[in-house]
Amino acid sequence: MRGRSLDLLVSLSQSDLRARYGRGPWQLVKWLLDPFALVGVYLILVTAVLERPGEAPGLALTCAVVPFQILTLTTTSSMTAVTLRRGIIANMSFPRAFLPLGTTMTETLAFAASFLLVVMMMAIYSVAPTTALLALPLILFVNLVLAVSFAYAATLFGVWLPDLRPFALSFVRALFFLAPGLIALDQIEGAANTWVRVNPFSGLFEGYRAIFLRGEVPDLWMILIPLGWACLIMAVFLPIYLREQGHFAKVAE
Amino acid sequence: MRFVFDRQRRPVTPAMGRLRRHCETNWGLRGVDVEVGPGESVALLGGNGAGKTTLLKVMAGVYTLDEGAVAVEGRVGSLLSINGGLMPELTGRENAVLLGVLAGLSRPQAFASLESVLQSSRLGNAFERPVSSYSQGMRARLGFATILESRPQVLLLDEVHEALDDDFRVDFERISEEIRSAGGIVVVAGHDHQLLSRMTSRALHLKDASLIDDGPFDTVLGGYLARDRGEAASR
Repeated sequence: MRGRSLDLLVSLSQSDLRARYGRGPWQLVKWLLDPFALVGVYLILVTAVLERPGEAPGLALTCAVVPFQILTLTTTSSMTAVTLRRGIIANMSFPRAFLPLGTTMTETLAFAASFLLVVMMMAIYSVAPTTALLALPLILFVNLVLAVSFAYAATLFGVWLPDLRPFALSFVRALFFLAPGLIALDQIEGAANTWVRVNPFSGLFEGYRAIFLRGEVPDLWMILIPLGWACLIMAVFLPIYLREQGHFAKVAE
Repeated sequence: MRFVFDRQRRPVTPAMGRLRRHCETNWGLRGVDVEVGPGESVALLGGNGAGKTTLLKVMAGVYTLDEGAVAVEGRVGSLLSINGGLMPELTGRENAVLLGVLAGLSRPQAFASLESVLQSSRLGNAFERPVSSYSQGMRARLGFATILESRPQVLLLDEVHEALDDDFRVDFERISEEIRSAGGIVVVAGHDHQLLSRMTSRALHLKDASLIDDGPFDTVLGGYLARDRGEAASR
């Protein structure tokens, strides 16, 4: 059963990858270019326009952009997952609960490729890796669990309110700017430094910065707050998704 | 089996239907009580919108019932539309793997079946081209060849066989008979009554989401055509 589930997940993800991103060597180039471009634009904004460079700004930005990319792309792809897959949903019986997981798996591949940017930035700023890297699997786990929770919620949202998809995406983008995305947490002063930690993105961004930029193990809040949000979102949306999934075929055609 | 529509006449899920006001409900299938046993082949007769496709999709597990229950024993293979789950951006080969896994094969089994799918579907070089370039007949052949690899015990078909060329129809009838003879079940919806009469011994006549008649194919067909003509005359 577990083998069958994995086969289904891999097949859904692979077909999604081909349908969304095409095939051939340029696929990897497309994946890599996107986070590079985003970091480049934000780097110019932070260093030249806002003049708030902070420590190793390119690496600090990358530690925010890379996890943000998987969350945004998972949300975007999940909102259209039922539409993209209407052919199989309307004609074949399979556990629809795998749709958000398949979408997350697809975006995880691009996410993994974009870590090349982290390595590059560490080299550019001469930041040496430390044993804090041992904590990377933990923050990766939290990142992926949050992405999966977004995927279930976004898939439902895309089915329920397809006309409001752009607003949902704007909300996710707003979360980036309401987190220490452009500017690291240690550059935020006053009450904002406390309140911004409630944002699930804040713990993620600072967790990656702790590991890659400062060579430290992430603080407990960097793990617990995003994980708490992920659990809350799953607790709310997963039961609803499981009830609604049997009716996707009615709206998919 | 209900369909719920919002004010813009778009189908919505039951949860959305409960939250929104001014939703309209239409029954896709209601009060249908049917049992099909091993070794039976059944035709679904009825006009457009009668509920044939809905019933097939309920049997295939594509639709979840709002009331009542459905129980299907055995491996189901269904081809419910010409495009039958095919993704137009993918090649025939890639679609065959995906559909094979969705139909119950493991990935190694799906890959191992590709040569057989290629031979059965007779697609030749088209197998490596995106399905968006296929004709309806080619899509039907690919879909049919793929679901047969899962060795279905319950075969559900919705008019797809009517897009097949004559050679493929002969194979299709033979395979359906093999499934039935082995104790499987074949349920076919369509408008080609000659083909259906060769393939099936029993028919269900559906009209307005309800079951009107259930019996030997020729008897039910006669009743269906008589009602159809009667309604046409009264119009």
